[in-house]
Amino acid sequence: MNTIGEPWQRHFPTATSGAHLFPEFEMRAKAVSGEVFRVPDATAARETLIRLVDDVGAKKAVVVESPLQEAAGITEALRSRGVTVYTEPTDIAAHAETSDIGISGVEFGIAETGSVFQDGGAIATRLVTILPPLHVVFLPSANIVPGITEAFDIISQSFDRGYVGFITGPSRTADIERVLTIGVHGPSRFAIIAVDETPKGGEA
Amino acid sequence: MEAEKNLRKEISEKLKDETLRDALGRFSEAYPIARAKAYENAGDIEALRDALRQMKIDTVARIEEVADRFEAEATKRGAKVFRAKNGDDLKEYLVDLCRKNGVKKIVKSKSMAAEEIDLNPYLEAAGITATETDLGEWIVALAGQRPSHMVMPAIHLSRFQVAEYFSKELKEEIPPDIAFMVQAARKELREKVLQADMGISGANFGIAENGAIGLVTNEGNARMVTTLPRIHVVIIGYEKLIPTIKDAATILKVLPRSATAQLMTSYLTMIAGPTPAMVKRDGKWVEEKKELHIILLDNGRLRAAHDDKFKEIFQCVRCASCLNVCPVYTLIGGHVYGHIYAGGIGAILTAFFHGMKEFEKFQELCIGCRRCMTVCPGKIDIPGLIEELRIRNVKEKGLPFLLRQTFENIVSNRKLFHSLLRLASVGQKPFQSGKLIRHLPLFLAGLAKDRSLPAIAAEPLRDRIGKITKKIDKPDMRVAFFGGCTIDFVFPETGESVFKVLQDMNMEVLFPAGQSCCGKPVIAMGDVETTKKIARENIKALEEMNPDVIIAACPTCTESLRHYAELLKEDPEWGPKAETTANKIREFCSFVAEEYAKRGRLTKTAGGPKVTYHDSCHLKRVLGIDKEPRQLLEAAGCELVEMKDADKCCGMSGIFGVKYAELSMPILEQKINNIRDTGAEIAVCACSGCMVQLQGGLDKQLPGVRMKHVADILAERIEEK
Ligand code: SF4
Ligand code: SF4
Repeated sequence: MNTIGEPWQRHFPTATSGAHLFPEFEMRAKAVSGEVFRVPDATAARETLIRLVDDVGAKKAVVVESPLQEAAGITEALRSRGVTVYTEPTDIAAHAETSDIGISGVEFGIAETGSVFQDGGAIATRLVTILPPLHVVFLPSANIVPGITEAFDIISQSFDRGYVGFITGPSRTADIERVLTIGVHGPSRFAIIAVDETPKGGEA
Repeated sequence: MEAEKNLRKEISEKLKDETLRDALGRFSEAYPIARAKAYENAGDIEALRDALRQMKIDTVARIEEVADRFEAEATKRGAKVFRAKNGDDLKEYLVDLCRKNGVKKIVKSKSMAAEEIDLNPYLEAAGITATETDLGEWIVALAGQRPSHMVMPAIHLSRFQVAEYFSKELKEEIPPDIAFMVQAARKELREKVLQADMGISGANFGIAENGAIGLVTNEGNARMVTTLPRIHVVIIGYEKLIPTIKDAATILKVLPRSATAQLMTSYLTMIAGPTPAMVKRDGKWVEEKKELHIILLDNGRLRAAHDDKFKEIFQCVRCASCLNVCPVYTLIGGHVYGHIYAGGIGAILTAFFHGMKEFEKFQELCIGCRRCMTVCPGKIDIPGLIEELRIRNVKEKGLPFLLRQTFENIVSNRKLFHSLLRLASVGQKPFQSGKLIRHLPLFLAGLAKDRSLPAIAAEPLRDRIGKITKKIDKPDMRVAFFGGCTIDFVFPETGESVFKVLQDMNMEVLFPAGQSCCGKPVIAMGDVETTKKIARENIKALEEMNPDVIIAACPTCTESLRHYAELLKEDPEWGPKAETTANKIREFCSFVAEEYAKRGRLTKTAGGPKVTYHDSCHLKRVLGIDKEPRQLLEAAGCELVEMKDADKCCGMSGIFGVKYAELSMPILEQKINNIRDTGAEIAVCACSGCMVQLQGGLDKQLPGVRMKHVADILAERIEEK
């Protein structure tokens, strides 16, 4: 399986990154209609996700695992909530289009723009992020870099091949009469669950 | 001529299109504010623009090397790179690729290059359906039109029009509700993406270091188009190539901010080499390596890259901010420019991608106001490049007969020129009761039929010199005044004011009688040789008097005289003289402000009239003079009330204001409205071209307000004392 190519976590902390940038990141992400939930630990992360699931009445979810999700037991929590969860790439391919929610992990956030950086080398990641109407990502809240330039300092060290990018709020258009409309091709809701506690034992 | 007629017809249609006028009007108001806000947290804008410009300059200087590296790195990672010389090359390759892979259905995310070469109809003819997935592009395609803006393709359409196109396409009644329509498009287009065999995307940049391409989008369609179908084809122009991954940051710092006033678009995607795709085989999903094809399109780009002047177009990142501030574009929209690249930059790109014939038609739609240069992130000298193209066009093909006759035989022959001007003052045919065109009076009078402009004065300035010259015994300075046609023959009173102001500072003022037109209208039409002739005569006349300084009360004349040095630099005899003249020329306001300051007179006083000041495009953006005229007005006791958009063009620019009167008029109307709103008694400017235009507009629309040159205000103040 062609998974995430780079252990991006090895870059953190950088000289300028840190949770002190989180307030700016949060403000910018919210300014572009992103939903931001900063939580102290795995338990709170799980509860936040379940609230989102209940909020949209999700029945079906496609999930690509990440260390934060595993630590919080997201997949199991979803299942025990009665949500059908798909985690295998072939299943994700078959069901992403009809799922209510897509869940994945992202590597870091950018304070200047409120963006998150994600390695989408794995096809499953891309399907999960683009097809369902609600996309939820998990982010270590200390992994925030100040700006685009710093983000590219990291990217240029690690991006050799594959599919990477920033996601900044939900999908949007202003193509008809310049009226901003959220949710065109991609998700109409984009939520970031930022976790303060780093998962134990994982590579992170 | 036929083409010109069509263009005029199209212009007048666009001017009548209320939806378009309304949309563009509101947008041009909103854009500068939104842009400024987007740059608030970006640090030093100028530094960001310089960084982009420099990075692009360095890249184009070694474009082949960068392209080779890009190709090698992309190939190494499994992509297939094809270099297309032109549109035909590209289309053949693509259709062949489709045939080999049994591709029948294609989805596209925005590619300007594909539009440029008219890809869709070609695919259609080959039995392949290509669907645009970008909402704006899809709408425009359904309407059977072309994009009218590089970033907002459907800005010219209203929700009602869109609802009609949707209803027809989807065969059901679609209400003109924007949110509803967006959802309808989502449903329809998602189906298409899921079924497509191939996705075609453009690219905002291509990175040589690792062969990656970058896409900057908002809707998410580019992510779908590059993810779902089993084959991905990228169409990318050479100008999009950048050397390193970090260079992408230089673009991303400015592109979203300038293009859509966003700090970042919803999606930035970078793809290096083929990535896995999910393909359904025998009813089961399997993961397969995608096929990735990158087509590097030349189509005139490499010729530009190797052209000393036009390599500058590689600095363009297609943000369209130049359109958003352009007084012409924001009146008529993009369709008038004929091809997909609109506005001033569009005319230049069109010249390289589609040939000079196309350029000829649209180049006149740039009035050289330079507003675009204040926002262009790549700092491209758009009006300068347009002028250069005109020069080359004339070199190659010569001027139209009448114009050539006019320039060669009349404008460059001062005596004849001036006697014609005098004749005009008595209102003889064919000059139609003294109509005048900025900088190039009369000869184009046939083109002036749509308007009346200020009359030629009964007594030109040159005939008044004896009366207005004061004998000064020990002058502080000897000043030669270069009047230019307009002050000399239309506004001689302003010329008198200049004399008064300078003489009041104990300067001896000389008026070299041998001076003629500065040459601007001639060079603006691309006729270099005649301009040189005119320059030599003016230099001779001015230098004979051996003045300490030369003053012009018009930014265009100032610029022209300064330009003589460059114009004649290869002439061993005249080159050094031209240099001397160029070094002596000073613009009136900045010169007087400096001298007033020395004399302690540049301080605010009271008791004068309520005035508002119009910044001439050339005075402010070419010469960088905008504070001095204001300081002078306040020193003269005026109550200065700023008008809205004081530095927006008044619509009069050389031949344009006359030839395209229908375009020039609405621009002028905005200006007059802004003047009216200030409640000022006098509208002041410091440019003779603007004076012609403003005078005409005020006469008709706001007769209570007078128009004056800064020199007039200063002279009145001196008289009062
Ligand atoms: S110089 Fe003025 S008219 Fe010409 S393209 Fe730029 S903004 Fe438009
Ligand atoms: S010329 Fe400058 S402002 Fe215009 S699209 Fe290109 S980069 Fe943007």
